Amino acid sequence: MKPRVLIVDDELPARERLRSLLADLDSASVIGEAANGEDALKQILELHPDIVLLDVRMPGMDGIEAARHLNVLEKAPAVIFTTAYDEYAVNAFDARAVGYLLKPIRKEKLAAALAHAHRLSPPQLRQLAAASAGKRRTHIAARHREGLRLIALEDVQYFLADQKYTTVRHTKGEDLIEDALRALEEEFGAAFVRIHRNALVSVRYLERIDRNAEGQYFVKLQGCPAPLQVSRRMAGELRERFRL
Amino acid sequence: MKPADAVPDRSFYLPDFCTSRAALAIVLIVELTAMLLTLAHDNVNGFWTDLARTSLFLLWVGLAGAGLLCWLGTRLGRLGVARGSLTVLLLITALIALLSMAAYALGRSTLVSDAGAAMLFPADSRSFVLRNVSIGIVVTGLALRYFYVTHEWRRNIEMQATARVNALQARIRPHFLFNSMNTIAALTRSDPALAEQAVQDLADLFRANLSDQRSTITLAEECEVARIYQRIEQLRLGSRLHVEWKIDSLPHAALVPGLLLQPLLENAIYHGIEPQPGGGTVTVTGELAGDLITIVVRNPVTDAQSVREGNRLALANVRERLALLYGERALVKSGRFDAQYIVTLRFPHIERERKSAA
Repeated sequence: MKPRVLIVDDELPARERLRSLLADLDSASVIGEAANGEDALKQILELHPDIVLLDVRMPGMDGIEAARHLNVLEKAPAVIFTTAYDEYAVNAFDARAVGYLLKPIRKEKLAAALAHAHRLSPPQLRQLAAASAGKRRTHIAARHREGLRLIALEDVQYFLADQKYTTVRHTKGEDLIEDALRALEEEFGAAFVRIHRNALVSVRYLERIDRNAEGQYFVKLQGCPAPLQVSRRMAGELRERFRL
Repeated sequence: MKPADAVPDRSFYLPDFCTSRAALAIVLIVELTAMLLTLAHDNVNGFWTDLARTSLFLLWVGLAGAGLLCWLGTRLGRLGVARGSLTVLLLITALIALLSMAAYALGRSTLVSDAGAAMLFPADSRSFVLRNVSIGIVVTGLALRYFYVTHEWRRNIEMQATARVNALQARIRPHFLFNSMNTIAALTRSDPALAEQAVQDLADLFRANLSDQRSTITLAEECEVARIYQRIEQLRLGSRLHVEWKIDSLPHAALVPGLLLQPLLENAIYHGIEPQPGGGTVTVTGELAGDLITIVVRNPVTDAQSVREGNRLALANVRERLALLYGERALVKSGRFDAQYIVTLRFPHIERERKSAA
């Protein structure tokens, strides 16, 4: 059976070109198109393609971020990146390990990439994450019944670390993710603040600080009924920085 | 030699005197000066004896001076060129005066019987010190001038090299080139006539980019280049890109440096339209008031803007070339106002005939 392919590129001519090249090759069937990372993830959940041809540079969620989210899935599709010219990304890829194609794409190279396409391994994803350092993700992905749930960073109220997992509390509920609190703090440092050894809260949802009878500090977040404990050291800093 | 980025142009022009290389250079300079001084007057004790004595004294001065400059190090840079040079001159002069007095005291007490010593150390200590200090000022001054000129020369070469690289990078964004090629590759199948036009447009754009940047063209020609660029981007971005042109009142024959408008439009599309999934509108307005032409380019910005590093090269390049042509009368302003990024150009309306007549 021919592999089922999803084409992801923000530019219509680029999608058209891939479509016609794939038609020529006749070794894969195109099952859909998407114009950005979010759209791509949505379609992947619905259509379950075997291979995703993923443009690196796209407005909104880019290809690298989409690929990182994809791996939350139990059965992630294989990924082949396409890029016109993108120094950091191209440098990060080991051509044999991660499939990527330079635009304008040659038919032979596309055929070879399709034949060797495979899903990204965790080390490769870490490599990608490192290569796009300084570029914050726009979303957090959590494993979910339907496969994966995307949580926009603006909706995240806090991250709470457990022994093994991290809980992300957001405006639409709660999910478990595998990202470590320290890595999250590094990535989203400006918009979040560490209030305790195990909690990273969104600055935009900070409401007030309370102190209970035992002298412990708690922070109240907008839309969260339960207060979160604040370490003594951070309480003073929070008050000063955010005038709580 | 330190790498250029370690201490940018704040560094003082003097080399680092803490190195053994510098000490060797000092010894060489001292020996040459000693030779010059010995040759310049009668050698009562014979040439070699006089040379040895002069060398001995000058080595004191030279190495003590190098030690002093080594110790001062980067502190001189903070004073600026003029005050730093004056400080060095004063310090070296003071050092020479001190060492001269010490040498005089030592020389008179130990070498007093020697006839040559009487000649070397006159009865009046002041004339001895004064002579040494005067020679010192002249030699130090010359040395400072030498260091300054070589430093400026080296910096000039570095600046020229950087400017050349910057100019090249400002011309064509690789991202744009490869994406356009990809678009054309797609069009050759789906719409060969459009592909043909795109190739012609790309050729015209490259010709404009490769032409001598110092040459001037008319405003109408420059607007045409910008429109050609827009046509290429339109193929790629489709309905995401809107460009509104309000330039009817601009004088067509006005003289401008080539690539004045196109790089600004390119920046506006690259930073303002491409990062937005829904696209947006770039507005180009132009007007003539009195003899001043004003052109304003606006593009929308979002908070996610910071994700794409700003390329200020193009803007710096436009500013530089307008200033080259119109000097103080040209103005380039840019900044973010609410949700828009606005670049304003203002320059005098001059046409070719009038310019050559003036």
